[in-house]
Amino acid sequence: MNDALITLDNLSIGYNGQPVLSGISLSIGRDRFTAILGANGSGKSTLLKTLLGLLPPVAGRIDTTQSPTGARLVFGYVPQSIQFDPIYLLTGFDVALMGTYGRVRPCRFVPSTERAFTRECLHAAGAEELAPKRFSDLSSGQKQRVLIARALATRPDVLVLDEPTAGVDAEATHTVLEFISRTREERQITVLLVTHDFAAIRHYAQQVLWLHQGKVLQGAPDELLNSERIAEIFGIGIG
Amino acid sequence: METLRLILSPDFLLRNSVYTSVLVGFSCPLVGVFLVMRRLVFMGVALPQISSTGVAIALSVPLWLGVKLSSHPSESAHMLAFIGSMTFSLAAILALAFMERHGRGQPEGRLGTAYVVAASLSILLLSKNPYGEIGWLDMLKGEVITISNFDLVLTAATLTLVLATLGLFHKELLLVSFDRPMAITLRKNVVFWDVLLYLLIGLTVSMAVLSVGPLIAFGFLLIPALTAHMFARNMRQFTILASLCGGAMAFLGFWVAYALDLPVGPTDVVLLGGIYAAGWLTAKLFPEGSK
Repeated sequence: MNDALITLDNLSIGYNGQPVLSGISLSIGRDRFTAILGANGSGKSTLLKTLLGLLPPVAGRIDTTQSPTGARLVFGYVPQSIQFDPIYLLTGFDVALMGTYGRVRPCRFVPSTERAFTRECLHAAGAEELAPKRFSDLSSGQKQRVLIARALATRPDVLVLDEPTAGVDAEATHTVLEFISRTREERQITVLLVTHDFAAIRHYAQQVLWLHQGKVLQGAPDELLNSERIAEIFGIGIG
Repeated sequence: METLRLILSPDFLLRNSVYTSVLVGFSCPLVGVFLVMRRLVFMGVALPQISSTGVAIALSVPLWLGVKLSSHPSESAHMLAFIGSMTFSLAAILALAFMERHGRGQPEGRLGTAYVVAASLSILLLSKNPYGEIGWLDMLKGEVITISNFDLVLTAATLTLVLATLGLFHKELLLVSFDRPMAITLRKNVVFWDVLLYLLIGLTVSMAVLSVGPLIAFGFLLIPALTAHMFARNMRQFTILASLCGGAMAFLGFWVAYALDLPVGPTDVVLLGGIYAAGWLTAKLFPEGSK
């Protein structure tokens, strides 16, 4: 494995001081594609939110290395597209442009260079034609592409995606995962992706974190996602 | 047309009332846009009423302490009212926003209760206040008549400050409202931006309540924004349309009220309601014309 970018040391995660998962100790490799797998309610999203700083850890530590420029790590977050209120009259471009707000100080307009970069990100995500359209009018898949463009516009060290293939058919799922995998290679960024689609992710992920019955299993997809191992985990539980 | 010429004349006796109404009409929808987007419409109704209770309590304090104020609304009374209004608006908006995020039960129930208790309390307090009976009770009912130069300057200065702050920090306020988790991952101080937005809402509501009363204040906070939302295609259009609608209706309301000898506040709000109904009907009949 490459060197660790994020290290979890005896981490407990949960809500209001009540742990959902405890004693998590693992590393997430730099520039790798890591998938977080698990059934509904297994704690995938809680783990993701804790890593992003949206939830405080109940106990333990999260150690992150610095980005190559010496700054703190930048996370490009792609949330689930259903969470946005359609009352906001924002275009696809407006939403993608928000990715640059971390670099533009308050009281300043977004400079033309950042606007041009946002267009590049929309182009890279195959969402160029969605730029002038109302974000709330887009389909789930189209919103996902705009949100990926927004995450790329943050110039992320880590691209974090929360179930980007939820509600998407098999063909579209492979297109999305193919794009994410290619983007990781081209931009040399770390990818952290939450999904419950075991079958699709095994061809793309290089590292798997499987949340099951309050435990976290870590390994390569070939080790963890073969039929014998899956049967073993589901059949006899984890010792 | 003679009435219009009279109202526009620089020597018009009630010119300060016209200017203040129009200022409030232009400014309130700008913060109203955020109330609508954050789905805090009920808060927009309750806040002006709570703010007016702050005015009533502030004006009752000298009475309770046995201090005599002048018989007409003076600058010192106005400042006292402003402090009371601002304190109550801010305390209420922060408490209601906190309960919205962390509280249990029905938010509508909390806001409805706050509204009706605040309305009754302010009338009770001012009915027992000799200064209140003279001018402040009329103001709380929406009678925009006696507005001094001092009131006008204070209103203009406050609303300019709100406008400038909204303009300067628009992208941060929009990001925190639209996608709070994203703002946190970009290391924005979301609590600071939330408090700043609430401060601007509180300041606008306090100023509007003091200048034109709670009735017009909540009319201008919400109805222009709700009307503009039916037709605007983007955020810029939404904000500009809401503000223009508020300013135009404020002027038209004053004109109609003056011409027909009606109270300004209720006239403004009824006109706003008419525009909202006409807008809704237009959007239903000609959906291609609306967004």
